[in-house]
Amino acid sequence: MKGNFWITYVILVIAQMILYIYCRFTPYIILSLLPVMILCLPTSIGSFAAQLIAFGTGLVVDYFAEGVIGLNAAALLPVAFIRRPLISLMFGSEPFERQEGISIRKYGFARVSLAMLIVIILFLIIYILLDCAGTRPAWFIFLALACSTAASYVMSLLIVNQLTYDDRR
Amino acid sequence: MPKERSVTSTIFTIVVFILLEIASLLLLSHNNQLQKLWFMRISHGFSAKVWGVTQKVNDYFSLKQQNEKLALENGRLTSEVRSLRMALNEADSTFMPELKENGFMYVPATIVKSNRKSQHNYLILDKGSADGIRQNSGVITSNGVIGIVDAVSQHYCYAISFENTEVNVSARLGNEGAVGPLSWDGMTSDGAVLKEIPLQYKFNPGDTVYTSGYSSIFPSDIPIGVTGSSRIINGATNEIKVKMFQDHQAVRYVTIVRNTKLEEIEELEKEEMAKDKEAKR
Repeated sequence: MKGNFWITYVILVIAQMILYIYCRFTPYIILSLLPVMILCLPTSIGSFAAQLIAFGTGLVVDYFAEGVIGLNAAALLPVAFIRRPLISLMFGSEPFERQEGISIRKYGFARVSLAMLIVIILFLIIYILLDCAGTRPAWFIFLALACSTAASYVMSLLIVNQLTYDDRR
Repeated sequence: MPKERSVTSTIFTIVVFILLEIASLLLLSHNNQLQKLWFMRISHGFSAKVWGVTQKVNDYFSLKQQNEKLALENGRLTSEVRSLRMALNEADSTFMPELKENGFMYVPATIVKSNRKSQHNYLILDKGSADGIRQNSGVITSNGVIGIVDAVSQHYCYAISFENTEVNVSARLGNEGAVGPLSWDGMTSDGAVLKEIPLQYKFNPGDTVYTSGYSSIFPSDIPIGVTGSSRIINGATNEIKVKMFQDHQAVRYVTIVRNTKLEEIEELEKEEMAKDKEAKR
């Protein structure tokens, strides 16, 4: 699985583009897999590299799917920035020492879900604020944040096991 | 060593994050009109806030200069109003001579030193004989009496503060009420006592107390304060507490008033006293 991580990652980037292009049913729901993809980057990757990957991934998605260049990149960078401190806080130093992913089987559904929700909310707050650019009322932003968080969390649950490496498999 | 490396690495991560985030936001604003306008609005709002705060700080530090300018202007205007009033009174044939107020010169001054720690307080003002100040000139503000000039050098004068148990100022209750000596209460920076008010004169708490103009040091009708509680002394007179308009602790800019006819008045008094003495012999 570890060797196939980058293949899975590229496939998920393409999936994300398809979601952005074809699954925009309402302005209240933004389906995004990107924050969890950044969270699940191999723990051997440091913050600097993670930020470059987040920036690059964001720009590629922006260019090919969104049309708003810089939007995903700007929202994804803070996720990469807090990734290592967040993993340390939620799962301790073990994932870094053993260089393993944050699998649900090992660390439990609740802890992994909480980490996922934190990065999704952080990403969506920045994404929605930048996307609205002061043109939407607060209630719209809160509603869009709530709906998008729920939808993105469900979608991300489906992919998290594909991205995390677990020795016990 | 590992700790130092960790700190350097953290700083490096933060710098990279800031640079990449700025790059993303620049891309966003350059490629999208809506975001560009929003960023411009935010940056203009921020600049306006910063500019406003800077301006407030500048204004605060220029207050001293502004105050000095205003004090000078105030002194000049007061002097001008008095001379105009005099000219008007002289031109008016129906004018009653006893209402004429004249013979006072007004000089704006700044308190350069003030002693407020004892019962015998004094002030040093930045005007002296070179500015036309003489002994026994009054020191006032628009809110009341501050003191009396006691000694004069070329560029400074020494004034006995009203906050001095030896200083009495002739004061009047209301516009046409009784006149009595007003002195500091010896305790607070805005408290005074008006003494020797005959019992037949009625007054209410809150009535205004003015300078009487009888002392030849202060012009008449300068509002000093308002009356408070009173008590009867020896069954003959009222002693009234007065809350002064001018808090002596806060005063910095004052006006020195000099009665230009004081010498003439004193000369007349001397002559009369000499005549009395000869008559008694």
